[in-house]
Amino acid sequence: MFCLLLIATPLAMWIASGHSLLRRIVQALVALPLVLPPTVLGYYLLVGMGPATGFGRFLVSIFGHPLAFTFWGLLVGSILYSLPFAVQPLVVGFAGVDRAVVETASVLGASPLTVFRRIIFPLSKSSFLTAAVLSFAHTVGEFGVVLMIGGDIPGSTRTLSISIFDQVQEMNYSAANRTAIALVGFSFLVLLALYGRSAVGRRNELG
Amino acid sequence: MVEIVNRLRLDPHHQLKVKGGRGAVQIDVEAKFSAPWTLIFGPSGSGKSSLIRAVCGLVPKLNVEFLRYQDKAWVEIQGPSRSTPSHQRELAYTPQDTAIFPHLNVRENIEFSVKNHGGKDPDGFVEAAIELFSLGPLLKRMPRELSGGERQGVSLARAFAVPHAKLMLLDEPFNGIGRTMRDALLPRMRDRLLSLGVPAISVSHDVEEALLLEAEVLRLDEGKIVASGPAFDVLDEERRQVRKALDL
Repeated sequence: MFCLLLIATPLAMWIASGHSLLRRIVQALVALPLVLPPTVLGYYLLVGMGPATGFGRFLVSIFGHPLAFTFWGLLVGSILYSLPFAVQPLVVGFAGVDRAVVETASVLGASPLTVFRRIIFPLSKSSFLTAAVLSFAHTVGEFGVVLMIGGDIPGSTRTLSISIFDQVQEMNYSAANRTAIALVGFSFLVLLALYGRSAVGRRNELG
Repeated sequence: MVEIVNRLRLDPHHQLKVKGGRGAVQIDVEAKFSAPWTLIFGPSGSGKSSLIRAVCGLVPKLNVEFLRYQDKAWVEIQGPSRSTPSHQRELAYTPQDTAIFPHLNVRENIEFSVKNHGGKDPDGFVEAAIELFSLGPLLKRMPRELSGGERQGVSLARAFAVPHAKLMLLDEPFNGIGRTMRDALLPRMRDRLLSLGVPAISVSHDVEEALLLEAEVLRLDEGKIVASGPAFDVLDEERRQVRKALDL
């Protein structure tokens, strides 16, 4: 999720900063996983990262092995698949920050990084929260892409959602139950922590 | 090039040249300043705000060819793509619609620029600005708790608190400020600028403002300087109208 926000933030800044056709095309590409069945993205990633394509061979030459069915391959697939859930709220948030405020901050001596830290981020905090919650929820819950690209290798690419699927297939309902409850509890706690923080933040702002 | 020299002289000169444009807004201005306060007049659409914003580096297609001080350039552009970024131009600026930082209280707004310059303010720019605009009682307030005139005052104080700015740019700085308040502020602001040796360029619609300050005036039309000189001479026509309205 952290990697995801790290990529999504500059991308959203760029998309929100203008109206050119290229920006709209990239925005549409980023949103594509919302529409496509996850297996489609998984299939293309599997083929693309495999040794059959030039890009795949390039990756092999860098990492020394194909990315498919490894943790890193899984991470790439997972980021691409959840990207729209982080990018969309951020684009909305950044576009909502008054341009004149950003411009004035830079004339008054704030470097672009300082403008982001002291102006843009505090003014779009709630969008970051939304992006974090949505992409977290989506990353934990995804299934199709993970199964396609990661396979199901214990200790490496087996995610919780897939291990539940396996446990049910093996008729091991008590194990599936344990995993499911752990997942429910963990997700609930993370969401509670995020929303709890935002409530405190809002109180401070008023006080 | 026009030369602006005032009885209340600033020495040495400031010089600027702005040229370029996009679509209907074409600007070609070259001027030399030694007045503490220069007012830009002109009909709407004459490029007043564009000129100010170009000097700030906020209009990508409008090049500031140079800003010079003591014949030393602090912004000089060789080609269209190479331009000193806004945050390195050492300017103080009040935009047209105040653009107060909505998430910072009054004091944090005024301290914004000092924080960008390392956070230390040995020459007391922040306190001087707070005093100049009488904002002491409002320091803890958030912008949404302020009236329009108070917001304008905070925006001005924020500009005056920029430590060692080379040029002060004010875009209609008295919007929403009452006449009595403005008349009290103007001479104090001018004296402060004079003692700092920083010239101000201000966009205005208000003839009184120019006469009150004994300011120098640039009249802009379609992006070009069509008249310049002491307010008394350049604004003769407006002055006559004002006098007629006041029945003097």
